[in-house]
Amino acid sequence: MKNFLLLLKQNPRAILGLSILLLWILLALLGPSLLPYSFSQMDMDNQISRPGLNGHLLGTDALGRDILTRIVYGSRSILTIALMTSLFSSLAGILIGFTAGYFGGFWDTLFLRIMDIVMAIPPLVLSMVVLGILGDSTIASLTIIVSIAYTPATARVARGALLSCKGSEYVDAARIRGESDFYIMFVEILPNTLGPIIVEITARFAYSIMMIASLGFLGVGLQPPTPDWGMMVIENKSIIREAPWAVLYPSLAIASLVIAISLFSDFISKVMIHEK
Amino acid sequence: MEFFKRFSKRLGFMFVTLAVMSFIIFLLVEIMPGDVAQTVLGQSATPESLKALREAMGLNDPIMVRYFRWAGGILKGDLGESFYMRGVQISSIFWRRVGHSIVLALTALLFYVPLSLFFGVVAGVKAGKFTDSVISFFGLATMALPEFVSGVILITIFSVSLKILPITSVIPIGENLWQNLKILVLPALSITFVMFGYVSRMQRSSMINVMNSDYVRAAILKGMPRGYVIFRHALKNALLPSITIIGMNMGWLFGGLIVVETLFGFPGLGSLTMSAIKTRDIPLIEACVLFITLVFVVSTFITDMLYAYLNPRIRFKGGEA
Repeated sequence: MKNFLLLLKQNPRAILGLSILLLWILLALLGPSLLPYSFSQMDMDNQISRPGLNGHLLGTDALGRDILTRIVYGSRSILTIALMTSLFSSLAGILIGFTAGYFGGFWDTLFLRIMDIVMAIPPLVLSMVVLGILGDSTIASLTIIVSIAYTPATARVARGALLSCKGSEYVDAARIRGESDFYIMFVEILPNTLGPIIVEITARFAYSIMMIASLGFLGVGLQPPTPDWGMMVIENKSIIREAPWAVLYPSLAIASLVIAISLFSDFISKVMIHEK
Repeated sequence: MEFFKRFSKRLGFMFVTLAVMSFIIFLLVEIMPGDVAQTVLGQSATPESLKALREAMGLNDPIMVRYFRWAGGILKGDLGESFYMRGVQISSIFWRRVGHSIVLALTALLFYVPLSLFFGVVAGVKAGKFTDSVISFFGLATMALPEFVSGVILITIFSVSLKILPITSVIPIGENLWQNLKILVLPALSITFVMFGYVSRMQRSSMINVMNSDYVRAAILKGMPRGYVIFRHALKNALLPSITIIGMNMGWLFGGLIVVETLFGFPGLGSLTMSAIKTRDIPLIEACVLFITLVFVVSTFITDMLYAYLNPRIRFKGGEA
């Protein structure tokens, strides 16, 4: 941990990324209680109001709703869903990938083939179709569907990590001691594969943010009036000439969050490879 | 011989994937809630007419029967009839949209392949220097942006401020795409933004690897001009991983097109898929998703074969690389 902080200190890009991420988390937690408006409150006198005027720091949209307020509320759902998706898909990936890699043989081949087939459909297309078909997405359905769409990729990473440790002497030792397969997989091998798995979780976090934002943009994400960053972009695109801020600020919010997480996850993967 | 074995094995697997995927897509759409006949006829339909339509559309048949009827039709080139636009054959609109998307994808390819390869090589050769960190940071930043975010930034610059390119990519009625080439620029640039990061990063790291290899160092130490070594010796091998990334992303490109086409209202396959989902047009959704999968699977196959062919280690020995 001390080593980690020391390395972090030498990496200004990672510090920048981490600070932006923490700022967003702080805003998501505290923001709503500090803001004077609610996310669906319409200021009828100030529709399409410029940023900084009439008490709207980032302006308003065509319905007179405060952009800043909607961005802050939107950060809550996107952070929650993306965090849960990256955790769930990694968890499912570890379970599936470890089982396949550990037992090998027929099950492993079957697993690889199934994953190859499922990966033949891009995750975005898969989630979009399923969510579109189910209709009226909620936080729960978004989380579940996106996690499933990401599981083949995480399972492959987990399987690869397990295979690199499977032949080690400590695994043989545990087997000779008569430990159960479950114990060997999750108590002996798992701690030794945490490096690549943590790298995968942080990278997945960034992907999830992009995915959730894109799904919202395509109209199959959270439904109105709940504010969603991607949805804000497409909703306001028709007034981009009159109110570019209504489109630009939510876009910049997405950009800053994804870039921040990418910078940090880049650092994580450097640290994990460096330690090896 | 080894190459041929690999070829036939992958080709077989490609067909299996397509067959399984077609069934999965069929099942996915089957779970759609609500009664299809009701959707088609609307809320005011009488129970009798609903029953008659269900019978006429063959909705009462067992699922396997329906799957094979659908898949058989697809194999004969019959994509079926749209639910939403009654009486319209899907093939009559589908291929024109696909054509537009292919033109857009190729335009994007024309933009990002030379750009990202060039900057990737420059960053790799100048690794660790200022030029490298500027290119690398730019790559990381653009890669992290969803297509619609870079699209919005581009629209704000080129359409709202400079007013030189159109905000939407709509083809006026009675005209075709070739009379409106301007509408391709911003969508293609949005895709370029995202792909630039992936390809240039890959090119950079493979360039660094090759520049540190013994044969390149030997060539430089022999006193050959640096530029000659980079272009004649190093680049040949350093391009291999980038070719893979570009090929692998061809299928992804089609997925990403959905987002870009929705943002710009570009009349391609992506926006067609999106409107099919919105209008719950089952045969159209199936046709679109199946086609995207087909592009993905075929481009993966071609990339794999190209890689195997270009890599002598696989071509001659048949080893896994």
